[in-house]
Amino acid sequence: MMTIIVVIAAILVVITASQLLKLAELRAKSKGELIYELTQEENKAQGAMLLLFFFVFMGFFAWQIFAWGDRLLPVSASEHGVATDFLMALTFWVITPVFILTNGLLFFFSYKYSYDPKRKALFFSHSNKLEMIWTIAPSLVLTVLILMGLSSWNQITTPIAEEAEHVLIELTGQQFNWTARYAGADKKLGRSHVTLIGGVNGTGVDTNDVNSKDDKLAKGEFHLPVGVPVQFVFRSLDVIHSAYFPHFRSQMNCVPGVVTQFNFVPTKTTKEMKALTNNEDFNYILLCNKICGAAHYNMQMDIIVESQQDYDNWLAEQKGI
Amino acid sequence: MSTHHTKDFLFTYIFSTDHKMISKQFLITGFLMGFVGLIMSTLFRLQLGWPGESFEVVELLMGSWQEDGVMAPDKYLSLVTMHGTIMVFFLLTAGLSGTFSNLLIPLQIGARDMASGFMNMLSYWFFFISSVIMLCSLFVEGGAASAGWTIYPPLSALPQAIPGSGAGMTLWLIAMSIFIVSSLIGSLNYIVTVLNMRTKGMSMTRLPLTIWAFFLTAILGVLSFPVLLSAALLLTFDRSFGTSFFLSDIYIGGQVLDHTGGSPILFEHLFWFLGHPEVYIVLLPALGITSEVISTMTRKPIFGYRAMIGSMMAISFLSFIVWGHHMFLTGMNPFLGSVFTFTTLLIAIPSAVKVFNYLTTLWKGNIKFTPATLFSIGLVSTFITGGVTGLVLGNSALDINVHDTYFVIGHFHIVMGLSAIFGMFAGVYHWFPKLFGRMINNKLGSLHFWITIVSSYGVFFPMHFLGLAGVPRRYYTFSEFPMFENMVDINELISVFAIAAMIGQLVFFFNFVYSAFRGPKAPMNPWKSNTLEWTTPVEHFHGNWYGDIPTVHRWPYDYSKVDANGEFVYGEDFIPQTTPLGDNEKDGGEH
Amino acid sequence: MATIVSNNSHYKDELKRKNSKPLLWIALVSIVMFFGGMTSAVIVSQGGGSFIPIPMPIGFTISTYIIIVSSFVFHFGLIAIKKENYGLAKISVVLTLILGLSFVFTQYMGWVTLHDNGFYLTGKESTQESSFLYLITGLHIAHLIGGLISLIVVLVKTVKKRYNSDDSVGYQVSLTYWHFLGGLWVYLFFFLRYSIA
Ligand code: HEM
Ligand SMILES: [Cu+2]
Ligand SMILES: [Cu+2]
Repeated sequence: MMTIIVVIAAILVVITASQLLKLAELRAKSKGELIYELTQEENKAQGAMLLLFFFVFMGFFAWQIFAWGDRLLPVSASEHGVATDFLMALTFWVITPVFILTNGLLFFFSYKYSYDPKRKALFFSHSNKLEMIWTIAPSLVLTVLILMGLSSWNQITTPIAEEAEHVLIELTGQQFNWTARYAGADKKLGRSHVTLIGGVNGTGVDTNDVNSKDDKLAKGEFHLPVGVPVQFVFRSLDVIHSAYFPHFRSQMNCVPGVVTQFNFVPTKTTKEMKALTNNEDFNYILLCNKICGAAHYNMQMDIIVESQQDYDNWLAEQKGI
Repeated sequence: MSTHHTKDFLFTYIFSTDHKMISKQFLITGFLMGFVGLIMSTLFRLQLGWPGESFEVVELLMGSWQEDGVMAPDKYLSLVTMHGTIMVFFLLTAGLSGTFSNLLIPLQIGARDMASGFMNMLSYWFFFISSVIMLCSLFVEGGAASAGWTIYPPLSALPQAIPGSGAGMTLWLIAMSIFIVSSLIGSLNYIVTVLNMRTKGMSMTRLPLTIWAFFLTAILGVLSFPVLLSAALLLTFDRSFGTSFFLSDIYIGGQVLDHTGGSPILFEHLFWFLGHPEVYIVLLPALGITSEVISTMTRKPIFGYRAMIGSMMAISFLSFIVWGHHMFLTGMNPFLGSVFTFTTLLIAIPSAVKVFNYLTTLWKGNIKFTPATLFSIGLVSTFITGGVTGLVLGNSALDINVHDTYFVIGHFHIVMGLSAIFGMFAGVYHWFPKLFGRMINNKLGSLHFWITIVSSYGVFFPMHFLGLAGVPRRYYTFSEFPMFENMVDINELISVFAIAAMIGQLVFFFNFVYSAFRGPKAPMNPWKSNTLEWTTPVEHFHGNWYGDIPTVHRWPYDYSKVDANGEFVYGEDFIPQTTPLGDNEKDGGEH
Repeated sequence: MATIVSNNSHYKDELKRKNSKPLLWIALVSIVMFFGGMTSAVIVSQGGGSFIPIPMPIGFTISTYIIIVSSFVFHFGLIAIKKENYGLAKISVVLTLILGLSFVFTQYMGWVTLHDNGFYLTGKESTQESSFLYLITGLHIAHLIGGLISLIVVLVKTVKKRYNSDDSVGYQVSLTYWHFLGGLWVYLFFFLRYSIA
């Protein structure tokens, strides 16, 4: 019913609009004008609207920062995240003025130089000096951003040395859940392969490997000790997934047939973060961030960051292989 | 007599080899596809704005793809995939390049037609068939392809992983392969036409920037599309014949598959080797159109003609060595990641040059705000707004946290989607008189512009906030996560704007159809433009010029050129390219 | 009036003469990119895992000699046409055609050898390298078939004496394509020889 009404209304609108257009054209013709020639008032009006648009646009931008600013992610809960957040802030401090200034010029020029038959446009076809300036200026800024980015990147992507103190965890993604496997006391993960999957062994751990003997499994949620580097290795059993830890500013794809790695140092316990965000329900979360099938939108796992002691207790309770 | 008539009809309107007719065919097919893509986006925006709520349109349009007016999660992914594919390839590659390269290359360089009219026709018909197959894929069992427009295997290879990877994906691959052939044939033709068919006097430094843009676009296409074809072929083998190029160690549906040794990362490399240049295949023609429109409508020469060409060349070249920025988080060698960061951020330089040159062109101009001008200014704005966030995404250390979030969706829709769409609209408004011999209505045009720019910024600007809050893309709903609960009203706002944007396009469709048939007759050179296409008669015939093709004597941007006394050199504020250079006049392109 | 211009067969011939070679050249560029994609896929795959080498079948080696010879033979035909010696040209085109077909045949023999030695194109027993080997050689053949068809067209036109010392663009296009196929094969042969075999 609704559909029929909408269709009829649309037809009526189209007919009316056509009539109006025809009328407008006839009127213009009778006055000896061409309907497609813009009058000077129209030009002025459009220029003014463009400038107005700029202010509305900036107002919208400011309003968003004001209204939504506190909905962004809370401060980084990982060590490297502090550095990347700083770089992110710096980048925004560079691009926001550029964004405002260039848009501003664009709309201001549009307003200022709208058509006036009494004026002549300036024939100005090139200037090597100006072009030089705006080639070099961005290059300099970019150099800074690139160098800072690359130094962070190198730090972040370097795996933790085996002898350094750390927690080793294998995260395995599959449609549509995650499994965490802790290396246990020997700090070594046992071998695993898809062909070994069967029964309760959902991720294909090689039970004959001595290194697997003390490995621990966790599903649904997993825990991390605060202040200790965590070395993750990622696997996928079926399609590509991506392990995304927004609060820790970390992400890595899980690719079937390939093992990938990432590491970070959690710096705030869940409790601390609850207090910091003023939110009793706050929880760190791991989510899947690479399209992986129908329930991709719900492939998650909770993360609890706690003191070493609590963590040790929790781990002791977890199932072995 | 009547058979003669049908034959005439057939060869004039259907199997035409006239570039102008083919251009219109591309335009209309592209717009129809674009409309489908638009409807899709509105449908999935309904779901994202009001998750789980029942809608009559969803019920009406999506048949068994929904339950009680709510779309199913895997069908959501189908829609997203088809939306992305249709928008990027069908609307903005074939629709945009196909229309304007075809219309403008022969007309602006002074040729009677393309190098090969037959191949040109072939290119359109391949595109047409490919469009039909792509649309048909919506109706097969399992639904259309749903692995995202990037169709990463294994998801796209295994029907067990998602139903759309069955027949839907097969048809996607077939359609895309045909599409690639169409695009290659088209590009071949554009390149050779530009190189070989220019009229007397039309040196490369007298080409309008539109032609430079189309030329570079075609080169990008010829170099990058074949690589996608090879990826599609390998994927087809993996899917249908049991090879293992991209598949390895997979356990799915309770079974270990036979595939060993392959790597999905290989696919990503091959895909993005096309995928990134594709961004510029979409964008460059729009930038070319804008350059032309801005110069004509400000009555000023484009500032830094050579720098514009140089920056387009730099962008084209760089676009081949940055593809890895889509793969920072695939576990690639960190050093390689650094290289890609470096090359990616380099692209910012020529892009900045282009923006500043546009701004300087507007400065002290005398601007006429036709709808084409408005959309061109809109393009410069979106190019800036979307471009600056590229500095975030291109920097590998920062990409870690925003990769695959709505920040990316906001970024690329603005810098590529909106810019290209705006360029396309600018082109349609500007060359409407050339396409249809009639003028399009200005008032409706500017109404269209205002609705479009307001609502599309309204859609895509807030997405940056979502992304910075960690909201992932390609999610059917965010209600499974308490941490995204406070995003509900943002998503609603976005969806409201999306619906407004869709309705705004109806204004355009009405204006377009009405003016094409009923609009006032166009004069020969309505914008007082310098370029050659405005020296052809308004009515179309195969061959473009009666008698000889005009000779070119100067670059296309002699607007408002004054002599020593401050008077216009030839009494008018424009000097067509066909006007011989005066005694002490220098040609603008040479300096 | 101008409609006449563009339907004019003289105009069309002129266009063809002017544009067919550049069109071909750019098409060749895209074919190069296609095989570039394929061969870099091989390189990327090798980076990931352990490749098991496959002995290069003798058929492929023989076909390499054949296609090189055929290029020369076909080229002599052009010289003959320039001298309007149609008899010689005919012989050269026919000979090229025969050599082309023998190329296909020796390739086929190569596949037979591979198959008999337990290397398959697809399926459980196939490996990535065997699949690549079949696929890349097969794709080359697919392009060669286009070359063979053009050879047949050239043969017909040579018999009908359509080419002469001024106008042999059709012949030259076919010849360029044939040289290209030869060069492409030589590249593929050595690439496969040193990467997979
Ligand atoms: C008003 C018009 C449009 C709206 C409202 C819209 C909205 C969206 C949204 C919300 C998504 C993300 C969906 C998700 O991740 O779940 C999306 C994806 C996408 N859109 Fe649009 N879009 C519009 C126009 C365009 C245009 C013009 C282009 C052309 C470049 C485009 C290209 C894409 C692509 C490539 C994707 C990614 C698809 C994928 O994830 O596989 N869209 N669109
Ligand atoms: Cu997943
Ligand atoms: Cu890219």
